[in-house]
Parts: sequence; C-alpha cells; structure tokens
Amino acid sequence: MKAIFAKGLLNAAISILGASLIIFVISRLSGDPVSLMLPMEAPQSAIDALKQELGLDRPLWEQYFIFLWKALQGDFGQSYRWQMPALALVFERLPATIYLATAAFAFSLVLAIPLGVLSAVYRGSWIDQIGRIIAMLGQAVPSFWVGLILILVFAVGLQWLPAFGADGVQHVILPAIALGWYPVAAQTRIIRSGMLEVLDSDYIRMGRSVGTPERLLVWKYAFRNALLPLVTIMGVYFASMLSGAFVVETVFAWPGLGRTVVEAVFSRDYPVVQAGVLVTSILFVLSNFLVDLSYSIIDPRIRL
Amino acid sequence: MFAGRLVATVLGLLALNSAVAAQTKDTLVAALAAEGTVLDPARYSAGVDQYFIGQMFEQLVRFDPDLKPVNWLAESWKIEGTSDKPIIDVQIRKGVKFHNGDPLTSADFEFSYERLKDPKISRWTHLQANVEKFEIIDDHHFKLHFKAPDGDYIVGSLQLWAMPKKYYEKAGEDGFAKAPIGTGPWKFVSRSIKEDLKLEAFEDYWNKDARPKIKNLVLKIIPEDLTRVAAFKSGAVDWVDAVPLSAVEEIKKMPGVKTFTAMAPNNMYIDFPAYKSDSPFSKLKVRQAVAHAVDVDAIIKNVLFGQGERYTQVGRGSTGYDPTLKPYAYDMRKAKQLLTEAGYPNGFETPCYNLITPREPNVKEMGEAVFAYLGTVGIRCKVQGLEYSAWINLGRRGRSGPPEMDGVLMWMWGHGLPGDPATSWGGMLHSFVQGKGFGSYSYTNDEKADSMVEELKGTMDPEKRVGLIQKIARYKHENVLGGVPTYRPVVTLAWRDSIDFRAWPSPGSWRAFQEVSFKK
Amino acid sequence: MSVTSAPTPVTAADAPLPFFVRFRLKGAPWIPILILVLVLIAAVGGEGLTPHDPNGLNLGAAFKPPFWQAAGTYDYLLGTDNLGRDVLSRIIAGARVSAIVALYAIAFSGAIGTMLGIIAGYFGGIIDTTIIRIAEIKMAIPGLALALIFSATMDPGLSTVVIVIVLTYWTWYCRIIRSEVLSLRERDYVSFAKVAGCGSITIFFRHLLPNIFNTLLVLMTLQVGQVIIFEASLSFLGLGIQAPDTSWGLMLSDARQYITYAWWGITMPGIAIMLTCLSSNLVGDWLRDLLDPKRRQL
Repeated sequence: MKAIFAKGLLNAAISILGASLIIFVISRLSGDPVSLMLPMEAPQSAIDALKQELGLDRPLWEQYFIFLWKALQGDFGQSYRWQMPALALVFERLPATIYLATAAFAFSLVLAIPLGVLSAVYRGSWIDQIGRIIAMLGQAVPSFWVGLILILVFAVGLQWLPAFGADGVQHVILPAIALGWYPVAAQTRIIRSGMLEVLDSDYIRMGRSVGTPERLLVWKYAFRNALLPLVTIMGVYFASMLSGAFVVETVFAWPGLGRTVVEAVFSRDYPVVQAGVLVTSILFVLSNFLVDLSYSIIDPRIRL
Repeated sequence: MFAGRLVATVLGLLALNSAVAAQTKDTLVAALAAEGTVLDPARYSAGVDQYFIGQMFEQLVRFDPDLKPVNWLAESWKIEGTSDKPIIDVQIRKGVKFHNGDPLTSADFEFSYERLKDPKISRWTHLQANVEKFEIIDDHHFKLHFKAPDGDYIVGSLQLWAMPKKYYEKAGEDGFAKAPIGTGPWKFVSRSIKEDLKLEAFEDYWNKDARPKIKNLVLKIIPEDLTRVAAFKSGAVDWVDAVPLSAVEEIKKMPGVKTFTAMAPNNMYIDFPAYKSDSPFSKLKVRQAVAHAVDVDAIIKNVLFGQGERYTQVGRGSTGYDPTLKPYAYDMRKAKQLLTEAGYPNGFETPCYNLITPREPNVKEMGEAVFAYLGTVGIRCKVQGLEYSAWINLGRRGRSGPPEMDGVLMWMWGHGLPGDPATSWGGMLHSFVQGKGFGSYSYTNDEKADSMVEELKGTMDPEKRVGLIQKIARYKHENVLGGVPTYRPVVTLAWRDSIDFRAWPSPGSWRAFQEVSFKK
Repeated sequence: MSVTSAPTPVTAADAPLPFFVRFRLKGAPWIPILILVLVLIAAVGGEGLTPHDPNGLNLGAAFKPPFWQAAGTYDYLLGTDNLGRDVLSRIIAGARVSAIVALYAIAFSGAIGTMLGIIAGYFGGIIDTTIIRIAEIKMAIPGLALALIFSATMDPGLSTVVIVIVLTYWTWYCRIIRSEVLSLRERDYVSFAKVAGCGSITIFFRHLLPNIFNTLLVLMTLQVGQVIIFEASLSFLGLGIQAPDTSWGLMLSDARQYITYAWWGITMPGIAIMLTCLSSNLVGDWLRDLLDPKRRQL
C-alpha cells in the first residue's frame, strides 16, 4: 500500500513537472507582452528597460529555471496587469470556481441518480427513453451553448434568474446547470448499468421472493451497490469540471479562476497564466491520483 | 408551475431586499464597466486605472467640465528660462491636506517625480525624459528644469501627481498599495478585485466649491452589459457607466433618469503603409479614394447605433479643433475614379487587419464594415482578425521579428481629450525614427509633417500650439497622412435624477465623482 | 465539457432507442446519416449553395428575424445578424469549416495516436513507458487550458485549431489502441507470425492494423462530434476560427451581445452544432454495434 502510494505520488510529481515545462514554453512562444504594458508613445528604450526589469531578455531555458525555482517556493511572480502576486490572485479566484464546480456536480447528481435508477427499474419504458435522450443531448451540445440558451430562456425571457455575476445563491444556478449538463449522460449510464447488474443478482431475487418491498430493494440494497462505481469516477468528473469552467465562467462572467486565466491569456499576463494553469493541473493530477488510489483500495487487484 | 412561481417569488424577495438596502441614502453605488488595476498613480498603466486613481489623487492642473485647463493643486505656474532650456515654476496651493492629515508640500511632488521617472516603478518614464532636475525652492514653491522644450508636459496637466512622501516612507510599497492616500475628495476604504472599490468622503478636502456631498461611494465592477443595465434598472445601482450601444435609447427614455453623453478619449482611423514606395497607398489618389469609399456616417448609424462621433483630424473638445475642416464625403464613383487615375482601374488586393478584441464597443464589426466598403470600390481585402496583443505588436514599428504591417489596418489612438493631439501625432503622423520615440506606430513618411510635429513638440506656449495644431490638421487632411480619421466612440453615463452629478473630464475620462450629491 | 480527458463518452447503448431513431432501414440510423450527408454537401458545395454571400454586409437589413416571425422575410429564412448577413448562408459556410477541421484533426490525431499506440503496445518496455509518460504529462494539463495557451501563442485560425485538436486528442487514440495491441500481441497468430520470422513491419501491417481497423473507425466517428464542439468552444472564446472565415462557434460568439433582442443569432448555429454532433454520435454507436457488438465499453 505504501509503495503504491509513493509510486503514484512520484508519477503525479513527474506529470506536474512536465506540465509546467509545457505551459512555460508554449506561453513564452507568443509575442512579448511588453508593448501591451506600455503606453503607445513609449519609446523603444522604455520597452527594453521594462523587458530587462521583467527578466524577459534572458534565454528561455534560463527563464524556465528561474520560474521553476521560484515556483517551488510558491512565488509565481507579479501579475503584469494587476501588479500583485500571481498566486495570490489565483487563490483569490479559486474558491469561486470550486463553488461553481461543486454546485454543477451536485446538479448533475441530482439529475443523474433518479434518472439512472428509474431507467434501470423501468427498463425499456418511457422514462428509460427520456434518460437516453438526455444522455444523447448532453453529449451533443457545447456547455457554453447550454449556458447561452439558459440565459436566453431564464434571464432574458422569463427573467427568473440573473444571467451574470456572483452576488448570491441565485447567481450560481444557471452556470451550474450549464457546467453540470455534460457529465449527466455518463453518470446516468453508470448508475443504470450498476443498478441493472444488482437488480438481476441472486440476492435481490431472493429478497423479492421472500416479499421484501420493491422500494426497499431498489433504494436500500441495489442503489447502494450501484453507487460504488459512481464514486470511483467522481474525481475525474470533478476535475473535468474545473477545466470546463474556462468557457462557462466566460459565458456567465463568473469571477472564477477560469475567466481570470482566459483574460490573462489575452493580455499576455504570463505569471497569472502559468500560476492559474499549473494550479488547475495540480488539482487535476491530484484528483486523478486519489481516484486511482481509491480504486486500488476498493479493488486490490488493480495496480497503479 | 408551482415550483416555478415559488422560485420566482423567492428571487423577487431577494431582489427587493437589495433594493431596500440601496434606499438608505448616504451611499452612492456606481457601476463601472471596466476596472482600474492599480491604486498608485506612479504605477498606473492604462487610462482605465484613472477611474480609481482619479477619485483619490490629484494633479497640479486639471481640465474642468468645459474642458478648460484650470489650476488645481497649483496656485499658479509659469514658464521661464530660455526657449531651448525652459523652466516651469510652480507655486502650490496652501492648506491642502492628505487623507491622513499631513500637509501637501513641494517634497511630495519631488517624490512623485522621482517615482514617475523610475523604470522599475513607472511605465511612463518617457514623459519625464526631458526634465533635467527638480528644484525645491520652499515648501510650496518648486521649479522643473528642462533640458529641451516639451509641449506634452503642459498638455499632460504638468504630469505630476500629489503623492504622500512621508506616509509612503512609513507604510512602504505594500502598505501603500493596501491603503493608498492622496489629496482627492475620496478616501480609500477597501477594495476587492473584480468586485468593488469602497470610498468615503474626505472631510478636510481643500476645494470647498467643487466637492462631493455624499458620505460613501461604492464603485462596483460589472463588466457584463446586460447585468450592468439590469442592476441600474432595478435600482441596485444609482449610477451606471458605458450604457451598451443597443440600450442607449431605452435608458434615455426611462423616467427619472438623467444621462450624459461623453466623448471617449479614443480616435479610430484607417491606416495604411503610405511610407512604402511600392505600396499603392503611397499614392495620394489611392488614399483619397479610401477616404471617399467608406460611408462612415452609415456605419456609425447602423453598427454603432448612432453612438459615435465623426471627427476630422482633431475632434470637438480637443485643443485646436477646427470646425471648418470637413471630412471627405462618401462618394463611391469618385473613389473609383481616383483609383483609375492612380493606375488601378480594376482595383487591387491588399491584406486588411482587424482588431477583434472589443477595446471599444463594436470595433470588430466596424472594421468588417469598413473592409466591405473598400471592397465596393475595388480595394479587395484579405481580412485577418487580430486579438489585442497581436494587433499592437503588428502595429508597432521597428520591432525585431514579425514582418511589418503591409496593408490596411484599423487603428485607434486617443488624440487628447482633454488636451491636444500632439502626443499621438508624434507617434502616428511623424515618420518612424528608431530610438527617438517618434513614429512608433506611424506608416507615414512626410518631411513637412515631420518638421511641423517636431515644432509642436517643442512649443510650450498654449496659444502658439493652437495655431500650429490647426495648420498640421489641415496639411494632414489634404494629403491624407496618418490614415483616414473615422469616429470617436461615445459613452453614455446614466444616473437617477435624485442625484446631482456633474461629469469632470479628467482624470478618469468623465468618471470622476468630483461634484455629486443627493437632491434634497 | 467534452474537451477533457474524462472517460470516453458513450451514449447508453444498451437502452432501447427512442422512436425516431428506431426508424431504420436495414438497421442504419438513416436520419442522422442524412443530416451528416447534408452537412457534407454544404461543406463541399460551399458558396455555391448559399442564398446570400455569407460575408455580404447589408447594414439596412440588420437583425431581420426568421421568416415565420412577423418582421421576417423569405429572403432571409433564418434571419440576419447585426451586420445584415444571412444566418442561413453563414451556417452553410460554417459547415465547411467544421468539416475541414474535423477531417484534418481526426486524420492527424488518429494517425499519430494510432501509430504511437501500436508502437507502445507492440514494443513495450522503455518505448512504451516513454510514450505513456508523455501522454500522462499532456493529460495533466486540462484540455481546454492547453488549447487556450497554444492558440493564443500561434496566430489564431483554422490550422491552429487543427493543431490544437490533434495535440489534445492523440492521447485518446494512443491509449485505446495501445491496450488493443497489448491484447492482440498475446494472440496466437501474432506469436506465430513472429516465430515464423516475419519482420516487425510485416506483422504491423498484415496483422495488427487490420485488427484495430474497426476500433479506429468507431473512434473516429465518435470524435466528429467532439471536434466540432471543441472548435466551437475555441472560436467562442475568440481563439479559434477568425473572420472573414466563419464557423458556428464564431457566430455564437458574435451573436452573444445581442442576446436580448436577436434570439435567433444564438439559437440557429447551436442547433446546427447539436444536430451534427448528435448525428455523428448516433452513427458512431451504430457502427460500433455493427462492427463489434461485444465492445460496448469503448
């Protein structure tokens, strides 16, 4: 167990290190940000001076090692735009993204659990078909479009819910639905097949034959078993939501990490891009690692 | 159905709640579309930073609501010395205090000067490049010695900001960033990035005539157009900035609402490589054809919903504005004829670059429309969209690396509002000179224009500048140099008429809450 | 989002199909196939098929609603955008971009991913470890974040979009094909071929490639929808297709600011995306069941 843990952690560390290199190199290939940071009438000498000040005049590999060394100490540099530590900005925005992802995840479960259970219990009925249609639609539309349509219907048309911002509970509803829509399909399918497997098993049949109420059988015994495979993929879906937040936050002007990074990409604010993407990557890798770990705890035959 | 109604009721209650909160009035809540990034005048990088800085900090000279420069923290100032080594002599107003009670002295301006010329801090060091030394005569009297005449210094409200030397030295860089103080009408209370800036009226503010009469000011950041307008309509905010183009008519018609139409300090123009002898645009007739080919008025009406103002070289309100200078009329036939005369009877193909980042409302659509008009006379565009950083890098001359701009470029540069166009002309009309700071974004090479722009740069006398600006504008117009001017965006501000608000043009382009109060 | 490394999305294949899909001739989902054929025709026909010039400005005709609304006209069946451009024509023009992006992106990511997957699976050892390690590092960066940085770096446009999608999706093919090869390698006939002295290349082309062909075909069909959504997301953020080219995502991005009074602007291109993705997913499901009914977990 300890060995598995250590190996997984090492793999995660290598992945993050590799990711940091990729992020760094790709982001630096683009045009330099200095002429964006200075007023248009600034002479070349001012541009050169600022470049030097930011260390952008050094060779790329040297910049990377400086970046890495400082990043290990938690210093991702000052945001060019906000002139404050990039990591502080990222951590300030992260809770909003986690809040949104959690709400979206909760929404997807609220929809997927009854849908999955009912489609298994009433296999072949209209409810199973509805489940199938929702699953197909969820896979066929971009989440940002779901967001736009939600805004059109609920914010512009019916005026029930606010379209943008993050002032209260009512603001999270629409973005959470837009973000949570996509995983519903897969979650429904997993619950459904898990339920089917258990419902056909001997012990449920036995319960049925001794007269245990069907409701109890479904919700107490079968559902509990079907939940297990769902738990094991939860981490993956939660992580994928952090990434999906990049677009959904932009649609809803949600003041989270995703939108901050998108803005930073446009303004070539390297420190914020690097800190933001790397923090997301770390969350991503860690949640995958925890999932793998839980797999191996649940099923010891699987090795990392 | 029931659930829907329930949700609606709950949300209605929530909305009501916030409306009630806004009713207890010693606080004005204003919604801004864009956010300042820093709260330190020496660190400011873009005009939008002054939306925040301008509430708390002040300069020596200021433009009043009629765009006239008035002495502000300066009691008086004059230019002395010789014409090639001038000296600006400044007497500062007595009795001005910083928010912590410290009196304002010459040392605070010296401190400001030191910071503004330090490239580690300031992004505007070039503005101080001509100052040789700062000399303190006494607590309220100092002199700026110049190595060369610098007209921009005058137009830029004498460039310096009142910054608290003593406080800063005690609080340090971080302390100052967290709790900045100035001499302005508003004191800093708190700030939350991407959310708001909270301010409180400064009791000891020096100007008893023009000052806010409201206790608290909250500047909320609401970048999304729909939300900002909705917040204003619901009463959650009392004052709103940048009413989206398509909502302007509706807001103006709302009862109990006052609006102010402000000119945004940005000038849009169509530029092209006139300096390249192998480019069709080096021919005057081709440039004139461009000027005749585009129906700017129709574009303003349809693409900008009327929210733009046509300008010819110098816009209304800027120093040197000349109402007798009229734009080239929209005339397709004439444009075609000019192209034929220039040797392009079948027109020609050219790359066309469009800015797709919405730096001003609908600029991307504006560019698309301009290119379509050019196509109708035979200037066929191969359009390439550029986001802001690619755009600014493409536009800049003398960079090593990517090839230089080689076609039609939709460009924008403020031409002094308030102020005059000297700085931007130095950058976009004067030919490019490596290392001299001239023509950084210029596609023009005209000796006469160069010498006139240099003369303007060296002229510090405001009267003489006006004449010179008008002369340059006419020459620029007749020869279609420095591109074809199109329009300046119009910004609409709106507020409840329970509020008295008078918009001051600077700092913060009309968003300064200098004179504001609740009606009795 | 479909653009992450979440498990391969598969529709609930074992549920009974809804009535409109059950309408089949010899088992084929004809309606989805028809939709895909229409998209292809639009893509190939291009400007010849559009009722108006997709980029033709007509400022006087801005914001015309679709024909069934009072202010709509039959001249502009699906209405016009803020510059008076015909929405239907732009959707047809956008189909071309979607098809081109899908074609190139799938071809290259499929080819690269399959090649690396076969190499990793067949040779194993250090080669396998290296390839899998690189794939894992790539997958540590959230898909859209990588795409975002990359597209901001390059000149945005069609070819950048293709490169970004290839960079994102090769690992998908690589992992699935690798495990396929791993199981094939142990089969008797491959071992026999080895014993019989066939070179790696012969084994590769004669024995491995034909066997993974079916898997590949299914993967590629299922990827169509994902590529289209990916492209739309990038274009929506302003980092994908650039004007004067048009794409469905770009149309949505342009129409977004007029959401309050031109609902068709954000509805129509989205429906085009939805129908195309739905169709390719259904065809993919059908192909999978047809070619290899056992492999429903793909």
